[in-house]
Amino acid sequence: MSNPVEIKAHIKRMLVENLMLQINPEEIGDDQPLFGPGSLGLDSVDALQLVVALDKNHGLKITDPEAARGILQTVNTIVHAIVSSNPDS
Amino acid sequence: MNQHIILITGANGYLGRAIARAFLDESQDNVVWLGVHRRREHADELAAANPNRCRVILLDVTRPESWQSAVKEISAAHQRLDVLVNNAGTHDDAFLVQMKPESWREVLAVNLDGIFHGCRAVLPAMISQHGGRIINIASLSALLAPAGQTNYAAAKGGVVSLTQSLAKEVARIGITVNAICPGYLETEMLVNMDDAARQRALAQIPMRRFGKPEEVAVAVRFLACAGAAYITGSVLKIDGGIF
Repeated sequence: MSNPVEIKAHIKRMLVENLMLQINPEEIGDDQPLFGPGSLGLDSVDALQLVVALDKNHGLKITDPEAARGILQTVNTIVHAIVSSNPDS
Repeated sequence: MNQHIILITGANGYLGRAIARAFLDESQDNVVWLGVHRRREHADELAAANPNRCRVILLDVTRPESWQSAVKEISAAHQRLDVLVNNAGTHDDAFLVQMKPESWREVLAVNLDGIFHGCRAVLPAMISQHGGRIINIASLSALLAPAGQTNYAAAKGGVVSLTQSLAKEVARIGITVNAICPGYLETEMLVNMDDAARQRALAQIPMRRFGKPEEVAVAVRFLACAGAAYITGSVLKIDGGIF
């Protein structure tokens, strides 16, 4: 999967399915914060699951909490990190 | 088929083998991986007696790369890992003033660091499958902290705290983490004890007998079963009533 549009759709599905969110994937905004006020309402345990799922499904290795904070801000920041980590894809 | 994949460390010893046998007896669908390090002859015998359901794997619990390699091999074979029993342990008793730093480091490395590395290695698989069981074999020494065991008691006390903290981290994902604190068991530790020391130990036990490895194994199997899904962060002592 190399197309950013496909990756974005997959990330939204992954958020809903892995974290058992009670919304449809299409309802998640590309730049909607995942954590904090006005966000999807994720917490640290969700982040843990997300890190594992991103590694398993997209080969994105998030090795430290600081990197996680930067990458897991929104769907767009996640897609950017995936595309950047696979420049040849 | 409802196959369960179980990894047991320290599986060449009495307790490790008893735990393995408990899982093998429980269901034909259970597949048990026996983690061994310096010695493997008894684990090999058990695996040979249970072809296709029991396999031996080299695993130095103190080395993260050894864990990664073992978990990779198990995941490649089954695409899942349901139960980790952190059973590998060692002790090297001495009063603290006479304890060599190497002894402190070795006992902490095997008994505590090993569990950290093990949990870290298996959790991605368990998180992905939204479930798993981790059972850490601590010791009554974690609770009694006897003289002459500062290294062992500190390590096992750490195991109890690690268990309780990790249990909270992964509870919502369906992963349970529990610890068992055995007292005196008829294992390698007791076999190497002289008669006078055995009598002193027996005198401390209200049941006036040593425990059998099988009596701990049954608790491990229970904590791994589906019905124990709500039990996490627990510390179960199995000691004939000492504490």
